[in-house]
Amino acid sequence: MIKKPTIAIMAGYLAATALTAVPVVPALAQDTPAAQCSAYAEAPQLADQVAAGDLPTVGERLPVNPLVIEPADEIGVYGGEFQDRWGGGRIAEMRHYGYEPLVRWSVDGSEVVPGVAESWEVSDDATTYTFRLREGMKWSDGEDFTADDIRYWWENVETNAKINPRGPRDIFVVNGEPMTLTVIDDYTVGMSWSQPYGLLLQQLATPYGQRVVMFPEHYVSQFDIDLNPEGVAEMMEEAGETDYTAWWRANVGSYDDAAQFNDPDRPSVMAWIPTEPYADKQRFSFVRNPYYFKIDSECQQLPYLDAHTWTLSQDAEVDLLAALQGDVSMSGRNVSIPQNRAVFVDGQEQGDYRLVSADTCDFNTAIVWFSMNHPDETKAEVFQNLDFRAGLSHAINRPEIIDVVYLGQGEPFQAAPLPNSPFYNEKLATQYTEFDMDTANEYLDKILPERGADGMRLGPDGEPFSFRVGINADFKPDSVDVFQLVERTWREAGVDVTMDYRADDLHGTYVNDPERDAVVWVGENGCGQLPLLNASRLINDGGTTQWGNWDNWRAWDQERLGVTLDVPEGTEPVEPPANIARLYELRAMIPTTVGDEQTALMNEFNDLLAEEFLAIGIATPGGFYRSVDNNIHNVPQPLIEGWYYPGPAPANFEAFFYRED
Amino acid sequence: MLRFVLRRIVYIIPTLIAVSLISFFVIALPPGDFVDRMAIEAAKKGDYMTGAEIEALRSAYGLDQPLLTQYWRWITDIVTRGDFGYSFSWQMPVSNLIWQRLGLTTILSLASLVFIWIVAIPIGINSAVRRYSLQDYVFTTLGFFGVAVPNFLLALVLMYVAYAHFGQAVGGLFSPQYIEAPWSIDRVLDLLGHLWIPMVVLGTAGTASVIRTIRANLIDELPKPYVMAARSKGMGEARLLIKYPVRQALNPFVSGMNDIFVDLVSGSTIVSIVLGLQTTGPLLLDALKTQDMHMAASFILMLSVLGVIGTLVSDLLLAWLDPRIRYAQG
Repeated sequence: MIKKPTIAIMAGYLAATALTAVPVVPALAQDTPAAQCSAYAEAPQLADQVAAGDLPTVGERLPVNPLVIEPADEIGVYGGEFQDRWGGGRIAEMRHYGYEPLVRWSVDGSEVVPGVAESWEVSDDATTYTFRLREGMKWSDGEDFTADDIRYWWENVETNAKINPRGPRDIFVVNGEPMTLTVIDDYTVGMSWSQPYGLLLQQLATPYGQRVVMFPEHYVSQFDIDLNPEGVAEMMEEAGETDYTAWWRANVGSYDDAAQFNDPDRPSVMAWIPTEPYADKQRFSFVRNPYYFKIDSECQQLPYLDAHTWTLSQDAEVDLLAALQGDVSMSGRNVSIPQNRAVFVDGQEQGDYRLVSADTCDFNTAIVWFSMNHPDETKAEVFQNLDFRAGLSHAINRPEIIDVVYLGQGEPFQAAPLPNSPFYNEKLATQYTEFDMDTANEYLDKILPERGADGMRLGPDGEPFSFRVGINADFKPDSVDVFQLVERTWREAGVDVTMDYRADDLHGTYVNDPERDAVVWVGENGCGQLPLLNASRLINDGGTTQWGNWDNWRAWDQERLGVTLDVPEGTEPVEPPANIARLYELRAMIPTTVGDEQTALMNEFNDLLAEEFLAIGIATPGGFYRSVDNNIHNVPQPLIEGWYYPGPAPANFEAFFYRED
Repeated sequence: MLRFVLRRIVYIIPTLIAVSLISFFVIALPPGDFVDRMAIEAAKKGDYMTGAEIEALRSAYGLDQPLLTQYWRWITDIVTRGDFGYSFSWQMPVSNLIWQRLGLTTILSLASLVFIWIVAIPIGINSAVRRYSLQDYVFTTLGFFGVAVPNFLLALVLMYVAYAHFGQAVGGLFSPQYIEAPWSIDRVLDLLGHLWIPMVVLGTAGTASVIRTIRANLIDELPKPYVMAARSKGMGEARLLIKYPVRQALNPFVSGMNDIFVDLVSGSTIVSIVLGLQTTGPLLLDALKTQDMHMAASFILMLSVLGVIGTLVSDLLLAWLDPRIRYAQG
């Protein structure tokens, strides 16, 4: 049962048209083309409310300088609904709803463009960012959206351990130093550090930037235990909850919590807003926000669609049938996979939908990470050996895998930025990808020359050498198929490998076991500028998850940086080989630089990765698409899937419109 | 009889205590807890949780307490305040989630039960009376198919047929416009239009096994002397059949009725998932998968209560149906 859309299944090869080379840091303020509007148009329902005196006029509701959206194809008309599916729990992960950050990715992902902020300035040394908000912009209840709301988020939510126990998100922290937030005036807010920070804009455009504009002070402050201790105590009493953190998550909610959009009274800046609590509903609609701050190029207030409607569904097959019947406006990621393409193509006429191709920012379907710091010295020695990894990589029949598992979609690829990224590095991307058992054996003979009676290679210590690879079968069922093929050719090369396919929980336990040998995970965020934000992932660091055990090196890196150690207790810091030490240094330096310097460091990072070849990749993902209702217009082609680019959310859903042709 | 009923009721209490304890502990057995589960989900979508965050949430949800403490807090809330606790993953009270789904589950279970009775009992009797006839062979064959074909497969096939040939909105028990609508004639008709697939799917396997049971029992009863005696007195064949041997043959059928109550909560899980039905089964499965402690334990507790009540009811029915049981136990 696929309840939540999984990123990985949705991977796909990025066409060369999207996410092309880009300036690394937009240093100058972005000028929104000022709308030359003498008057604004609005949806008929809103006009009725204005006429009845229930709502201020559209001119009063919009900011002085609304954000102008250039529709993908044509100017739209008001009406219709966006039909969506919902797996229960939280409403969305920003892929279909909820992407309205301070600054956002352009539709093609090539640059960062204004969102809630109308412009910004970056100081020459990149230590200070000054954002200009939209004067007269309103929350969905009609209250002003001001710099104080952003200050409230930073002081009372993001840095409030009672609400957000993890502390400020790493995108607001540079080398351990949290951001300083300054309210300059009602519509100007500064974010600064004592050192340069070259990636703030891109980071704010990722899903983690959304949080900045989600906390209307005038409303949310009533739930703050410090500001309203008696009221909160009363509400907690009523809910029968004794723990403030748990109560907040369940009743107020920040970020991804289900409660966040469940309170219809809570103002937001989204295009559609709830009218009733939805948590126990099986079908519900969010309706047009009368104060939404965007207009089209002909001065009509967006969104065009009256509502965004969700139907509860917990099974991918049901989602698929609903899509085939044309009951959804856009098919979900979980069903729009290459395996379903044929049935989607066949059903186009009956279901009255079209297929829109979708590129992906994922750069690999599966990457094998080894435990370089394995507690077993023999294993650590072998895993750290480049010849071992190169030999194994040559012993993977990628063309066969692509044909059999991925239906011919994708190219052999290592863990590397995609070809359309300015950071594409051909050597890193394509080295050791050729399937050649002779070359594979040649490499493997350098480190594991001896073989036992059964033809399997012996370790450097003369004992039989075997290792296991952990694969999460729940996450990406395709990787099960892939590694069955990999296992066959690796064993042919005399390597005694066992593939462990496990369900979520057991895999989760395995990934935390210091004795793990190797772990497989997807490669994400490889298009356009995203590799800049993704250096950690390319050195086996997925936040709290490290696929291979590199704990000794990480301990060294953390000690070097003077940050709190985040490694299992008793881990000895060990200095890695020079190149890898440099990779750790570069990872810390890249965010703190700008422009050419940053590009140079990123290139050095990729060159070193190519030299060291730390992980084995399989192929670029490809062949993705979405089915889109024929009556829904202005859907850009191609769409882009991703996480740091939370595709397709930046495709301007507010400019989609409904017209029966 | 009264003593019999009372004794049965007294037995229930220790049973429920034991079941609630065991279910709570079994749910906690798999590696990790709900917060670990959240971390896994975060990793899947490209995010991650920090160690501090994991610890803080664990303490916020009380998952860092010893299991016995957690159990005690949960069970005392239920007993003293009727509060089944909070579902971590839905972030709402468990009772909000369970009750509204029980309604539809009841409708579905009763519908399939009626389907089974209407179809299976006459066929079973017919097959027994006309043993080795053509219709017996036909129904026996169909029956074996019914038992052998997995429900979910049948569900998928019927769903496809409904989609491809009837153009019906499959998945769920209502058309989209009726899902959250208030009850009305149209909504009931819409429900009936959707109910047939799960009813047939769930009914098929049940029908097959009921046919087999009734046929086998009846065949045992038919040659018995009391049947012959009744027949020799000149009693009409149909009346004779219904009044004596069929009543006997229904005996194991009634004693199996307690299962029906359990099915109300847990049964038909896979079929419900495949068909996208908003019944209790998928909710329970999901709670178990995500280690949503309170939700899963409350479900299992409720399931046990229903199972125990079901057993009690079927015991009472049996005692009423068959005096021998009453005397043996009484």
